[in-house]
Amino acid sequence: MIDLQIIPFAIISIIMIGSSIMVVKSKEVVHSAFHCVITMMGAAGLYVLLNAQFIAVVQILVYVGAIGVMILFAVMLTTRNQEVE
Amino acid sequence: MGIYEIIMDTLVFIFATNPFSPWIRGVLGGLVIGAVFAGALVMVYLERKFLGDMQSRIGPNRVGGRFGLLQLIADAIKLFTKEDIIPAKADKWLFIGAPIVALTSGFLMVAVIPFDYLYINGNYYAVAVSRMDISILYLEAVSGLAIFAIFMAGWGSSSKYAVLAAFRNVAKMIGYEIPMGISIISVAVMAHSLDIVEIVEAQSSIWFIIAQPLGFVVFFIALLADVGRIPFDQTEAEEELVAGWATEYSGMRWGLAFFAEYFHAVVASFMITLIFLGGWNGLPIVGNLYIPGIFWVIAKVIIVMMVFIWIRAALPRYRIDQVIDIGWKVLIPLALLNLVWSTIIGLMWA
Repeated sequence: MIDLQIIPFAIISIIMIGSSIMVVKSKEVVHSAFHCVITMMGAAGLYVLLNAQFIAVVQILVYVGAIGVMILFAVMLTTRNQEVE
Repeated sequence: MGIYEIIMDTLVFIFATNPFSPWIRGVLGGLVIGAVFAGALVMVYLERKFLGDMQSRIGPNRVGGRFGLLQLIADAIKLFTKEDIIPAKADKWLFIGAPIVALTSGFLMVAVIPFDYLYINGNYYAVAVSRMDISILYLEAVSGLAIFAIFMAGWGSSSKYAVLAAFRNVAKMIGYEIPMGISIISVAVMAHSLDIVEIVEAQSSIWFIIAQPLGFVVFFIALLADVGRIPFDQTEAEEELVAGWATEYSGMRWGLAFFAEYFHAVVASFMITLIFLGGWNGLPIVGNLYIPGIFWVIAKVIIVMMVFIWIRAALPRYRIDQVIDIGWKVLIPLALLNLVWSTIIGLMWA
């Protein structure tokens, strides 16, 4: 019998790989930022699977809560000219 | 042993010693979310009624008898039957995702909130969906996710008002998460633990509102800004920004976005109650009368909710630059001062 932990691991990994590809591929910079945030949250999920709750929470606090917001703040201050054609 | 203990004994048997307990715990989680949802409904009703009283109006009084008890149900039916409009220029995924993220962040916070701490058959049980060693850090981390919801809504709407509201919200949050985090750290230093249950237990002799009043003030103001209530509701300032980040929403999507705010406000009342107001530790005025801890918690939560409503009626709204000034120039120095104070006191007690 295979370890049941492989199932959440596979789901989280697929989400992380997909969203990290989308960080590079997506046309709009805001979408890239949000995909980046999703990737970071996936990393927190992997830490939980490793039974390291503290580092998972700190991952969310620092990378999602602080760095993610900082990235969005930077995106917000850039122009949106590319979209207007 | 009263009836309350017998009920709780049965609950402990069902939830803690049963092989199916993870599944039952999930059901319990659903029930607790439902209960907090009901709490948010109560808060909306109380807010309308008491704001009416404070502004010399009557408030809802037509649907459901003299006190308008069914007004919220009527509102919910109205919102469900309205057309769901997504603006043509909107960023569809962000627009649809925003209310979902807002509510999810609230639901995740409910998971670690303890309601009581029971001593049954030689063991202590926390009445909570999940007990973590680091639950207070988890609360702080998960509450930060709500920023993304407002940003998604503001950016996804492709409306100037909504984008302005999102900008204001991010600028505000960067400043206010820091004093909130520092005052939580001060509490953790004093209680020697990051577990909310242990933090409440550490308050059995003296509540933290008395041990560190400065920390309470900083935390309360930062939390008001966090849930975006007056005087910190620049993100939905009606006079300037129509409805702020929710301008383009309609129907039940708007209802969810609006409701998520009240959900957060209720969870914030729980946080204040548990961290500073002693949680299930009662006041000595009741003497030998035994009052279960859960009633203390709920009574304190209702009082904090009433204070929120009272502040909303009493204070005007700050300008956005004033808000950011307060966050960086007043609250952060005060929070650091309080950290020093609580470290000294905490070491003396240890």
